[in-house]
Amino acid sequence: MLNYFTLTIIAELSCLLVAIICLSKDNVRIWHYFSAFLLITVIAELTGIYLKRNHHPHNGWVYNILMVFEFAFINIMYVAIFRRYSIGKAIIISGFGLFALLYTYEFLKHGLFEYNNLSYTTMSIILVIYALFYYYDLMNNDNYIRIIYSAEFWWVTGGLFYYFGETACDLFYDKLQAVHIAFFHSLTYYIYNILNLLLYGCWSYSFICRKWLEKRSEIR
Amino acid sequence: MQKMVGEEIRNTVIAATAIFLIAPAFIVAYISVYNRRKKRHIEEKAQMQQAFETEIAKAQLEVQEQTMQTIGADLHDNIGQLLSLTSLTLNSIELDNEAKARQKINDSIDLTMRSIKEMRLLGHLLQGDQLVALGLSAAIRQEVSWMERSGRYEIVYTPAEELPAANNPDKDLIIFRIVQEVFNNIMKHAAATQIKIALDYWDAVLQLSVMDNGVGFVTEEQPLARHGIGLQNIRKRAGIIGGEAVIISSPGEGSRVTISIPYP
Repeated sequence: MLNYFTLTIIAELSCLLVAIICLSKDNVRIWHYFSAFLLITVIAELTGIYLKRNHHPHNGWVYNILMVFEFAFINIMYVAIFRRYSIGKAIIISGFGLFALLYTYEFLKHGLFEYNNLSYTTMSIILVIYALFYYYDLMNNDNYIRIIYSAEFWWVTGGLFYYFGETACDLFYDKLQAVHIAFFHSLTYYIYNILNLLLYGCWSYSFICRKWLEKRSEIR
Repeated sequence: MQKMVGEEIRNTVIAATAIFLIAPAFIVAYISVYNRRKKRHIEEKAQMQQAFETEIAKAQLEVQEQTMQTIGADLHDNIGQLLSLTSLTLNSIELDNEAKARQKINDSIDLTMRSIKEMRLLGHLLQGDQLVALGLSAAIRQEVSWMERSGRYEIVYTPAEELPAANNPDKDLIIFRIVQEVFNNIMKHAAATQIKIALDYWDAVLQLSVMDNGVGFVTEEQPLARHGIGLQNIRKRAGIIGGEAVIISSPGEGSRVTISIPYP
């Protein structure tokens, strides 16, 4: 049982706990349902680990299904963030269209059981573009926000760190996999763990900002 | 050899991955620095707005003060004298001499009528800063007519042929106050006999120029006690509404103040 508690699972569970505490009474629906998305992620990760540890030939299908949830949920989140700008909607529709096209292509090519690597890499790039667009708007906007207490900023920043790193890892996966730092683990193992810690750390802080700090900074 | 090439590729891949991992940190740091600068810029903008509003309020007060001074001087020097003369004339009437009495009564009526006319003009001036609400050209004309009444100056005023329909009351007030400051300087220090004032508007720029044939001064060595504060005020106020003031003068050759302001 203890084998299931990898660093990533612990980070996800901690983030889920923070989300339940901070967002369960949130008025905005997408933030409110964040804990549901994190729960789905944890279940998928655990299923993936279970299948791998019990020598099932394929666990790619679990991540393929999770990928759809992940992209859909993050897209809806960005729709909420970009609702202020007309161009944001066009960017999201284009991103969604491209992802759907590649996902369908890979699905038809090799079915559900093999991992959709191309779709995931494309998804990472699309989400990095969303994050960069958010920053671009932040700089162009006349209004000043205290980014240190901004839930949106930290949520986007977590995503940027994760998906930027993911893109690199996906592109150079074979080479990085061959590099062993310790006896058991390759370089990718450490990179993925760092990325997960950054992602869930930023997201957890973002939920704390959403619950307490944002309001306090508004009062000041 | 093959092993070395493989090693090189591996190192390149690790370096590229490290760059990918570090790049977001630099992006976030840049955003953070930019955001701080934005905050500073917003604060400076708010301070400038506050300074502008303070300057507008100050100009409004000064226009009112100047108006009150003009009214006080006019009551004392002009209307007061007219009424004293009326009183003296009426007192000196001898009812026995009907022809002379009629003449003096007619003179008194004439003096009273002049007093009434003066009072009416004062009434216009009592509107104080509301004078500017009539329009910049009209307000300057009013100021010019008061200067002319002193009889010390020959003034030529050329108003702008065309001003934009939508005016800017804040800028009008500041420009009007600058005109008053320039006139004050001329009255106090220039010993001029001729003044030319012109208002021009083209290409969204309003230009005001005031020339006199007075004693002039060395612009580089502004004697603060004489002209300095007034001239500094003129420059500062022109700057506050986004314009600039050019002051040209030399001893014995009068002076020329030109103010260019984006308008409206």
